[in-house]
Amino acid sequence: MNAALDSPQTRISWDRLAVRAKWMRRAKLGAIYGFLIAVSVPVLLPFFWMASVAFSSKTGTVDTIILWRSMAVLVPFVLACWICSTIGTTARKMFFGYAAITVVAVIAFVVFVLPDLHLGNFIFMTEKDFSNTVRERRSGVKLGDFAGGINFPSVWSAAANSLYLAGGQTLIVCTVASLAGYYLSRFKFAGRAAMLRTLLVLHAFPVLTLIVPLFLILNFIGLLDQLLGVMLVLVGFELPFAIFIMKGFFDAVPWEIEMSAMTDGASRRQAFVRIVLPQVSNGLIAIGVFSFIRGWEEYIFVFTFLIDNVNWTMSLYMFFVRDDIMGIDFGLVSAVGVFYLAPSLVLYAVAQKYLMQMTIGGVKG
Amino acid sequence: MFYVVPVIVDIVISFTDMGRSLAVHEFTTKQYVKVFSGDRRLPQVIGLTFIYVLGTLAFFNVTFGLVLALLTTSIPKTSAGFFRGVWLLPRMSPSVLYIFLWIWVINPSEFGLLNQILENVFGVAEPVDLMTNAPIALIIFSNGFIGASMGMIIFTSAIRSIPEHLFHAARVDGAGGLAVVRHITLPALRWPISFITIYQTLSLTVSFEYILLLTKGGPFFDTTVYALYIYRRAFENGQYAYGAALALFLIVIGIVLAMLGWKFFDMKKLLQEPRIEVN
Repeated sequence: MNAALDSPQTRISWDRLAVRAKWMRRAKLGAIYGFLIAVSVPVLLPFFWMASVAFSSKTGTVDTIILWRSMAVLVPFVLACWICSTIGTTARKMFFGYAAITVVAVIAFVVFVLPDLHLGNFIFMTEKDFSNTVRERRSGVKLGDFAGGINFPSVWSAAANSLYLAGGQTLIVCTVASLAGYYLSRFKFAGRAAMLRTLLVLHAFPVLTLIVPLFLILNFIGLLDQLLGVMLVLVGFELPFAIFIMKGFFDAVPWEIEMSAMTDGASRRQAFVRIVLPQVSNGLIAIGVFSFIRGWEEYIFVFTFLIDNVNWTMSLYMFFVRDDIMGIDFGLVSAVGVFYLAPSLVLYAVAQKYLMQMTIGGVKG
Repeated sequence: MFYVVPVIVDIVISFTDMGRSLAVHEFTTKQYVKVFSGDRRLPQVIGLTFIYVLGTLAFFNVTFGLVLALLTTSIPKTSAGFFRGVWLLPRMSPSVLYIFLWIWVINPSEFGLLNQILENVFGVAEPVDLMTNAPIALIIFSNGFIGASMGMIIFTSAIRSIPEHLFHAARVDGAGGLAVVRHITLPALRWPISFITIYQTLSLTVSFEYILLLTKGGPFFDTTVYALYIYRRAFENGQYAYGAALALFLIVIGIVLAMLGWKFFDMKKLLQEPRIEVN
């Protein structure tokens, strides 16, 4: 046996094998990264494109040159950072590496991209009658009062409407869901199982099929064409999901914590507000952000239920701006898009951690 | 409340002849007669709905979601988070904006991003017009980009919850990367995959927001799926009663699918009795 192992034909060169395995591993990892990057580009590129057009378009037509130039700065920057993080051994070395890369990237950005950037497309933020202004600018003719553009409400009023809709919805959803979730999680009452089952079905319920009867109901009770009506509808559909998530979070809070608070003399309500609620703040943030983003982006219901342009939300504003001046000024439409996207994006970036928790910790996503 | 009342109203309306004026003249069953024998466009719409739902499920929501989950769990955490974040972006960005990006990218003139890339990189001379030539592929892709993230998240958390030692044991027994996926990961994902399939079938069947924004159901009726058909009948043609009758079938399908979805929850854990009672 030993003789066979020692004979030159069967001896294995462990070093060579290790090196080969290492390279195989790297190649596999590289292939995975390559694939993921390749499939992610179609998702990311349009967003970058919109941003670059919004900040750079001067004549109203579409240029991709700024996009490619900023990509030529951004892509090497990301790659360099990545390489730096893999080969850097100490925190100090990595810090200097990042600093050097950032300096180079900023200089490249200032030289190649910055001269073409301007804020002219964000005219809609200050000027209410931008539609006609833009038309005049493009055609070079003074059009007077009958330029044919839609009379847009101020973007700030649309944003305020959206904020009111999304914020109000978030407030109601958070309050009701935390109370209901707590009750479902801690108390035993007749019909608890039935209620949970119903909630599950309702969560998967095809709400959009109810759009016809809802339209008529809102019409009967006089809430059609009012933000409050849309808000109530959205809350109703958002709640089963939110209650579910909150119940999951409450279930994870150990009963002993609450018990000891009550032993120390807290009432049930005090224990809930002071002890249990802080424990589930992650869940609250998650459903809050989620329902806010949902309210901010809502389109179908506001499009169907709101008619008067005083009540326009951002989604309708965006829709009609695009409808009105799409062929005339692409830059301005992109700028509205950036304005509309920014809050969602910021919220999402800040709360991503919590949102992921919700889908993993909760029953489902 | 929010669900039961609309359903009842829906049933009542579907037996009337409510039109654009919202006035009810008589109670009839003629809407249902129309559904079953009078509407020649309906078979085409139903066929299209099947193609759309199955296509999106097969290419994106299940398959591609699974691929993304498998790949992102096999690379370091930070980069995995980045790629998952990228694929969640379409879901998190407002629907109106997301669809406008699509419309701009596939713009049939030489200004569209897709056509610019095709022209400059691949040397295609004629601008491509996806909107009229391949509308069904278009709605499948645009919905799939959003749908894939859902499967990705659920599958990722399912893969993470597989006990680590199973992977080590398989490795020791000489399994390669693909064999591990085939014999360890996929069997563990059986329930999540069934759940996602049913849940996404449901949500794809009933949702039409993105299609309405992207193609408005056109050209002509080429991308009008069943849910959108209801919407167009009710709000474009003002046939509220007929829309209500059509919606009723979708509601029934929805409830059946939702009940099926039940089976895939961990019901025992869900219905666990509260541990201590203090009143």
